[in-house]
Amino acid sequence: MRALIIDDSAVMRKVIERALRQAGLDLTEVVQASNGQEALQALRDDSGKPNPLSLILSDINMPVMDGLQFLEQRRDEKLGVGIPVVMITTEGSEPLVLRAISAGAMGYICKPFTAEQVKARVVPLLRVA
Amino acid sequence: MLATENPTPHTDMANRLDTAVSEVFEMMLERSCDPMDGDVNIVDGRIVARIQFTGAVSGECILYASPATAAVTAEALLGTASSEPADPMVDDAIGELCNMIAGGWKSKLEHPQAGCLISVPAVTREGLGALEGKFGTKFSRTYSFQGNVFGIVLAF
Repeated sequence: MRALIIDDSAVMRKVIERALRQAGLDLTEVVQASNGQEALQALRDDSGKPNPLSLILSDINMPVMDGLQFLEQRRDEKLGVGIPVVMITTEGSEPLVLRAISAGAMGYICKPFTAEQVKARVVPLLRVA
Repeated sequence: MLATENPTPHTDMANRLDTAVSEVFEMMLERSCDPMDGDVNIVDGRIVARIQFTGAVSGECILYASPATAAVTAEALLGTASSEPADPMVDDAIGELCNMIAGGWKSKLEHPQAGCLISVPAVTREGLGALEGKFGTKFSRTYSFQGNVFGIVLAF
């Protein structure tokens, strides 16, 4: 499976990828983006590919375009329809969680996290999708 | 030099910060990290990460460490064998560490303070002059993991 990881920290992108592999996901490719704008472009580039992305994990607090703006723009442009999006962020306040869910996020993981927490939030979404 | 006095000892603030630090280290680095007495004696060559709070709380969280401690932290976070102190990933790791600790501390505040916003991390090796004196109240705490020491200052 292919996953898109969006975080302005290269360290955190590596940590999230490692957690996904520890969760048992068979990742054949990880597409990386350092902000929402890069992620939107990645989704546009991915459109029509024979082996599309199966999962998106996104931070919220990022420069250029944050994770909530990414979700809203993705919804408006109808990009990556059907791909489950899980937010992984230090921002766990209720208004932000509700805004993310209303914009299309299907899961929410607060940093710090364990690989077990990632597995528990992500794997059920992949079964549904 | 960074001010490190504790004008008003605040047990709740210390407990929240200790818990946030402990959670980050146990969950993300698989290491224990404990508070220490005294300040961190790192004047030269320290790496400083800063997260700003805005909205219901106005202030900042500053984390500082020697390049050697920062490199060990990056190794632990990434699960890699070795990081050079000059590696840009070391700065990135210290920024993320500060980000997660600040976010964890914020999440333990009562409403409405818990609704404050936090910035993306800013990391510098250029000294602390610009950070000094901006806020009136400072609370400092020193931590150690496996003999590696770093400091955190909350300023409001």
